[in-house]
Amino acid sequence: MSDVATVPDLDAVTAAVAGVPDPELPPVTLGMLGMVHDVRVDDEGRVAVELLPTFSGCPATEMMERDVVSAVSAVEGVTSVAVRFRFDPPWSATMISPEGHARLREFGIAPPGGAVPSVAPAGRRTLPLALAGASPESGVRHCPYCGSDRTERESAFGPTPCRDIRFCHACQQPFEAFKDL
Amino acid sequence: MNEYLTVDPRTAMLLAIADDELITGHRHGHWTGVAPSLEEDLAFSTISQDEINHADVWYSLIASARDPEGTGDARRTVDELGLGRPPEAYRHAVLCERPPRDFAYTLARHWAYDHADVVRLAVLADSEDAEIAAVATKLLHEERYHVEHADHWFRRLAHGGDRAAGELAAGLEAALPEALWLFEPLPEEDQLIADGILPAYSAAMLVRWLEIIAPALEAADLGGTLPADVQMSGSNWVLPESHFAEQGGRYGNHTEDFTEDVWPEMTHLYRAHPGATW
Repeated sequence: MSDVATVPDLDAVTAAVAGVPDPELPPVTLGMLGMVHDVRVDDEGRVAVELLPTFSGCPATEMMERDVVSAVSAVEGVTSVAVRFRFDPPWSATMISPEGHARLREFGIAPPGGAVPSVAPAGRRTLPLALAGASPESGVRHCPYCGSDRTERESAFGPTPCRDIRFCHACQQPFEAFKDL
Repeated sequence: MNEYLTVDPRTAMLLAIADDELITGHRHGHWTGVAPSLEEDLAFSTISQDEINHADVWYSLIASARDPEGTGDARRTVDELGLGRPPEAYRHAVLCERPPRDFAYTLARHWAYDHADVVRLAVLADSEDAEIAAVATKLLHEERYHVEHADHWFRRLAHGGDRAAGELAAGLEAALPEALWLFEPLPEEDQLIADGILPAYSAAMLVRWLEIIAPALEAADLGGTLPADVQMSGSNWVLPESHFAEQGGRYGNHTEDFTEDVWPEMTHLYRAHPGATW
């Protein structure tokens, strides 16, 4: 590096990492999900990022790595970007930020814990969808659409490894929930 | 890839765990598109994906130990570990390589295997090897969903009338004797214990597993499916040491269900295009 090179600003680099959207849930970012563990910048402009995967087997991690490299490379003075996924400490749903909770709910996904109850609209009768049956191990989630707690888990497995499928008896709406880890 | 036939004890242990997960994931994948219900299709497809990814994580620990500076291509090493070894270099238990047979056998094996996996992960979470402890802790959280699914079906079939209970019993009778081999002593286990890598002997993990599954079987009136070799001595479960006199899957000994079925299919693409990326 020549001595005229700009050392990248740590805050700008951190913001670039935190602002990368989750490839499978674009309304939320890695920062909102609490996945950014550590960001370091050295005098040569080399950036080292440590991320906590939500699920060890998340197939989106390679896309996240690529997107982080791309976003950070755009910051002035960055010469290289290394991304590492680590398991210690294990990611937990408690790391999702309040903004992340709000965005997930807007997207129709119930975040773990963080109940936001509201008055449920008048329900109407419909065919029961439960096939696998609710499990006592799964905590009650409030419906992301109407806020009711009259919901049940229909499947422990959903469209991605980190989500399951639920149904709201108040507004008759199926919805997804982030798994409790 | 004959370099993987003779490996250090830590690598042999990691291969045993990773291979169990990879082959289990491969066999579960059979149900994608043909499971008895949409929910089960989703369940087994997800569990299959989880297990194959868990294998990937364990292989990564071998890859990083072989290249501590991280200068090489770790992805390539992981692919090579998963798909580039000769059949006799795989160290999974024979249970994992058996075909799915029917849905009851699949559920019986799933129940036996995932309870064993959780026992093993709970032990490894206390490993003095920080990388192994971190991975085991992470995977333990995820395995909860597999065990919950397996227990749900165990209860549902066991209490679902004579036909369902009978099918489950037949599945357990086929799966449980081979499930004991998930606890076949690992190569150079004394060394793993002395190094603090493995916090408990396989024999001790077997007892912990029996303490979970035996009462569950008895409560469901399925106690008769426990393998005859497993005995109660005082208040402890015991299996004669001679049970593992011959070497099994942990030493690369497999059946044609692996050498002629899983292995050729699973590695076909890799062998046709070595080192390909996608």
